[in-house]
Parts: sequence; C-alpha cells; structure tokens
Amino acid sequence: MYQSLLTRRYLTSKIMPLLAILAVMLCSALVLTTWSIMGGFLVMLLKIGREMEGDVSISWPTVGFAHYERLIEKLESDPLIDAACPVIETFGVIVLPDDRQFGVKIKGIDERFARVAAYEQSIWWKPISEPLPKDRAREDVRLDPEWWSRRARMMASDGRIDAAEIAQYRPWEQMLADGLNLRERDPMTGAVVPAVVLGIELSGFSERLPNGTYAPADIAGRRVSEGGFTLKSGFIPNGSVTLTVLPMGPSGRAVGAVSARLPVANEFRTGLFEADKNTVLIRLEELQRMLNMDEAERLVEAPPPADPYATEVDPDGRERAPQRAASGIEPARVTTVLVKGAPGTDPEAVRARCLEAYAAFARELAGRVPSADQMHRTIQTWERQQATFIGAVKREIAMVLFLLLFISFVAVFLILAIFWSMVSEKTKDIGVLRSIGAGRLGVAWLWLRYGVVIGVAGGVLGSALAHAVVWNINPIHEWLGRALGLVIWDPSVYYFPEIPHEVIPWKAGVVLLGGVAFSVLGALIPAVKAARMDPVRALRFE
Amino acid sequence: MTRTAPTTPASPAPATNGAPGAPAAPLLSARSLYKTYRLGRVDVPVLRGVDLDVRRGEWVAVLGASGSGKSTLLHLLGGLDRPDRPAPPSAARAESGRPAGRIAFDGRDLAELSARELDRYRSESVGFVFQFYHLLPELRVLENVTIAAMVRYGRFGFARRRAEVEDHAKALLGSFGLSHRLGHRPAELSGGERQRVAIARALMNDPPVLLADEPTGNLDHATGEAILDEIARTRYAAGLTMVMVTHDREIAARADRVVRLTDGRVA
Repeated sequence: MYQSLLTRRYLTSKIMPLLAILAVMLCSALVLTTWSIMGGFLVMLLKIGREMEGDVSISWPTVGFAHYERLIEKLESDPLIDAACPVIETFGVIVLPDDRQFGVKIKGIDERFARVAAYEQSIWWKPISEPLPKDRAREDVRLDPEWWSRRARMMASDGRIDAAEIAQYRPWEQMLADGLNLRERDPMTGAVVPAVVLGIELSGFSERLPNGTYAPADIAGRRVSEGGFTLKSGFIPNGSVTLTVLPMGPSGRAVGAVSARLPVANEFRTGLFEADKNTVLIRLEELQRMLNMDEAERLVEAPPPADPYATEVDPDGRERAPQRAASGIEPARVTTVLVKGAPGTDPEAVRARCLEAYAAFARELAGRVPSADQMHRTIQTWERQQATFIGAVKREIAMVLFLLLFISFVAVFLILAIFWSMVSEKTKDIGVLRSIGAGRLGVAWLWLRYGVVIGVAGGVLGSALAHAVVWNINPIHEWLGRALGLVIWDPSVYYFPEIPHEVIPWKAGVVLLGGVAFSVLGALIPAVKAARMDPVRALRFE
Repeated sequence: MTRTAPTTPASPAPATNGAPGAPAAPLLSARSLYKTYRLGRVDVPVLRGVDLDVRRGEWVAVLGASGSGKSTLLHLLGGLDRPDRPAPPSAARAESGRPAGRIAFDGRDLAELSARELDRYRSESVGFVFQFYHLLPELRVLENVTIAAMVRYGRFGFARRRAEVEDHAKALLGSFGLSHRLGHRPAELSGGERQRVAIARALMNDPPVLLADEPTGNLDHATGEAILDEIARTRYAAGLTMVMVTHDREIAARADRVVRLTDGRVA
C-alpha cells in the first residue's frame, strides 16, 4: 500500500522519473513505429499480391498449356475453391501516344479475372460518390460526372483538341464497363474492338497528387515525321497504344513479332508500384490471337523420318522428300490459371487441392498437357512465388527490430542511472520505512513497482506517439519533403506510392510489455541496493 | 488504544506480572551488548557489554556524551540493528556470566526472530522518534502518520481499516494540535510541528515501547520543553514504556530512571 502511495508521490514531485518515462516513451515509439511501417509494408505486399494474383497460380510459362477450361471446371467443383480464371502472362513492348516505348508485362484476362482478383476495385477511372480519405478538397475528377465533357469543350475552344477526340467522350460508367470487359466501342465506326487497361503509373500522363488522387495531364505531345509535335488531350483512356509481343511455337521457339494498335479502355491502380508501372492488361482472346495461342488449324511439324533417303509422291505425281508438317486443330492455350480459395481458406490448403485437381486433370489428358510432376513446382501460392523477396523482407524486419532492441538497452541503463540516483537521494526515506517495519522485499518492491509504473506510462505514451506518427506518416513525409527537401520514400524503390503503415494491437502490446520489462530491468539493481541497505546507515545518511 | 492507566500523573507505578510485591519482569532486556563499527580499516567499538532492563511503563533516559553509543543502543533495542555476536564471547561471558548480545522483548529474544518477525516487531512493538524527525517529504502530514499503518497492515488490511486508521491518525494529530495541518507537507511545518508529526507516526500502531533519540535535540528550548511535555502526557495516557536517549541532564531528569553510558558501558 505504502509502495503505491510513494510511487504516486515520487512520480508527481520529481523531474527524474519524468525523464525515465520520456526515455521509455521514445524507445517504445521508435520500435513500434519501425515495426508498424515495416510490418505494414509486408502486410500490404501480401494483401495486394493475393488481390491481384489470387491464392494460387497454376503456371506453365511461355508456351502455356491447353484444355484449361476443363481444369477450371474441375477446380471450381471443389468446395474449397471459390473461382478460377485463365490468364496469359508474357512480355512485350508498348508504344505510348507520345512515342515513348517501354518493355512491359502483358496479362491477358477475361471477365472471370474479376472473380479471382480485386480487379473491379483496382480500375481507376470510374464514377465515385465519396472522395478518398485524404481528398478533403474533393479534387478527384471522378466525383464530377461531367468532368470530361466540360474539359473537352474548354480544350476545344482554344484548339487543343479536335472534334474526333471530343467524340471519344465516354461517361465514367462506360469507362468502368469498358475496363472490365477490355473492349471499347470505336466512336467512328461503332464497332466494338479489343482494348487494353494500363497500370496507372505506366504512361506518366496522370499525375499523382498528395491527396491520393490522379490528375490527368492536359496535353500529350507526339512527334510527327515533318518535325514538331501534334498535341492531344493527355487523358490516356482516350488514346491508344501499340503493343508488340513475341509469339512462341509449341516447342518454345519465337515465330516472329506481332504488333497491334489498341485503344486504352481504362487504367488500374493496385497500389503495388511495380505492377502499376509495368503492367498492361489485354483481353485474353486478343492476346491468344497475337501469341498464336488461340484455337486454330495449324501446321504441326512431324518428327524427322527414320530413313534419311526416303521419298514420297506429291499430288502432282512428282517424287519429293517426305513433308514434315501436317495440319491439325490446336486447342487454345494459356500460361496460367489463377485460383481463389473460399473465404477464410488457407492458401496452402487451396494449393493442396490444386495439386490434386491438376494431377487428375493431367491423368485424363496424359501427353496433351504437362504432367503433374512437371507442374508440381509451378503450382504455387503467391507467397511461395515471392518467397525469396518476402523472406528477405521478414529477415530485414527481424534484423532491424533486433538492432532497435539493442539500442533500447540505452534506456535500461538510463533508468538504472536515474533509479540509482533516486535511491541514493531517498536513502533516508528507506531508513525511515525500515524503522516503521517495512521489510527488505517491501522496499525492493517499492522501486520495482516504480519501474513498472514508469514502464507502463512510457509504453502507453510511446504507443500513443507511435500511433500518431504511423497514422500520419505520409503527411509527415510530405511535410519533410516540402520543408526540408527530404524525400525518404521513393515509390519506385519501395513498391508502394505511399508509405504503408499498420499498427496491430498485439504489436503495441508486445512493445508495451517490452517497455515494462526494460524499466523493471533498469530498476532491478537500484531496488536490490535499496533492499540491502542497512537501515541504521540509511538513517544516518547525510 | 487500551493501556494500563497510570496511578499518578507524576510517576506511574511500574506494572507487575507476578505475585503482589514481586518486582516486575523487564519488558525490554539487554544483556552484554557489543557493537563495533568499521570506519575504513579501523574497528571502532561503540558498545562494550551493555546491560539494561526496562520495566513495563518505565521511562528510562540514557544519558551520555556524543559518540558514547546511545543511538546505537537505541537502534539495537528497536531491532534496527543486531548486536555483534559473540563479541567477543569469552569477554562477554567473563563480564556478565550470560550469553553475549541478547536483547529480549517481553521475554522473547530478538535474535531468534526471523527477518519478517523483526519487521513486525518494529512495526507493532516499538515506535521510533528521531532527532531530525525523518518525515517523508513528499507525503502530507496525515499520510506521514498513516504510512506506519500501511506498512503494518499491508494493502488489503489497510484498505479494510482505512477509515478507522485515518480517524486514529487524525485523533493523534488532533491531540498534538495539528488538526489544521493534515494536508500540509513537512516543508510547510515548523520544527516543533514536524516532531509532533513524527511522534504521532511512532504512536500510530499503538506500540508498547517508544524509543526516542534526542527528540528535542534539534529544537529550541521552549519548543523542546513543549515536546517533552507532550511526550510525557502521551506516555501517561497510553501507559508507554519509553527509552529516551539524550545528552541533556535536565531532560534526563524528567525520566523515572537515568542510565549513564560512558565508553560503551553503563556507568
């Protein structure tokens, strides 16, 4: 009882315990902030990965595998599997309206992709009724249904765009539908044509604002052969791009580049900078066609004859070397089937079901699809696919936390020094307490309890400080950039355009307990000193 | 707070615990107390075989010069320190014929008490009053007094008796004329008021023995006299046994018996 009374009074009447609380608070805040930001990075990475790629991917890269619809049917009959969709993943070159060219990752998808991935949520240009959390000034153009028509009229009035471009106007609802279908109606011919959806960071025509929204550029220049530039609206969904891909034969050999000019139906934003900067989505059938992976009658190369001198007679009756090609129907192929598990299902359990389903599928179509053994390594959860990177991030988090823990020992010694000094200062009080019957353990507990209180107070304040910093880390970062020119977070290096952050209650709890443990550790030696103090010497202490 | 009522205000009759007319057994008994302090590399003998009996209800003044071992004797009697044992055994036995370094309270040897029992002895059986008051500066007056009960009863015991304890503390402080100072800090009190608070703290747990170490040594004459009057009044009211250490003959003269300590021995 007397311990709690003295703890309260020592806390409120001395400056030194406040310094100890400050030390614990700063250490706790440092650890929790770092852990939350680095942990947030990992959590966001895993979340976006699952949102974009589903739980499990069944892949046979480059040449792909056929009869995928049968596999999807088999997968979707499993109660643990919610949906599956076919995808082609390849690489190509994109030429933007201003003639800039990039190597990009091209993904062929169809409507089923939205059932497996959070595709609809990622489509950017669509009608919204509520502004984004940080868009307090409601600057998001998507909030205005008439934004494009008014902008077009304004730009037409000063001659920056022509009637043809004005005709490309599509309401936000239509842009969303076009983005989902990866098709667009040609304003001139009225024909529905395949279209692409670009990652929103790819073109560079839309500027990301600090409030999290994107502002389309006014003008995009294009170099013309006569010299100079033509000017167009910089709103990329009204433009078109040229995609070039390299089709492969079934044996994996390139058979020549194929290019197509395609309108841009929309843009998408996953929040994963790497995907938003380098990915182009295209309708699956169009990509299959460009890569010669669609169902078609093709010449199939036969194996060389056993007799090198063998001949055959052609339809005109002339003798010739045996032909090594025959025509046949080649089924459509995809490189990947993405699988989404039922809600709450562990991705590893989904992977196990996918392995079983593929094994059955491969048995039924033996010789016509890669065997189950061949596919075993390519049926992976997203986390396994990124295991090297994710493992490195986890190890980095552990290493940084270890270093911070080590640094936090400074607080232990600081508390030790402060408590040592306080025990010395309160020597006479200890003698008085002993003279009225306080035992050694009671005196030791007085100081340990004091350490606990300082640890709890420092931990709680540190946790509050960490929450405040973590929740406002992006505004703080922006302010640092504006005020000091200090930009630490480079989206192209760290994947996400904004600093990810997440304070998980159990982490705050661990840091709080750590703060208490460190404080008690710092108080331990002074507490032992106080307990072992000779009461007579303590009373005579000057 | 029930105590044996004094028979006369001037000199309370010592209590007896045997047949009528038989001498009362001492409440506090010290035999062959030796104590040596070590200052650097030098051993400084402070007590060299002190024998002392204090009867129940008796006021004994221990008179001695500075450094004669008065305070050390008081600390030993109060269980704050332990006598050296044996120190040296042959010499102790030779001088007293009894085992060395024995202090008994109500017949029980303090050396046989465990650390916890000794803590309880200091909490319940003796009350200390020091020359320099030794109040806890962060606590208010009432808390400085009730803290003795907090130590005695522990968290839950104190919580159960809180109202009773606080009433008792207020009554004690009221009897010393400090009712208007309950919420003050020691730094806001005069020397005499501080010493009254210290006496109230010493009496908080109704100990049968009060050990006072130069209680007026830090006060002016008038205040000291007033404090002594209050101590005497309290002693009579509560039937306390008291050992008071002083170097002042005039103060010692107020006691029932004076014991002179010279060179670590009772003269």
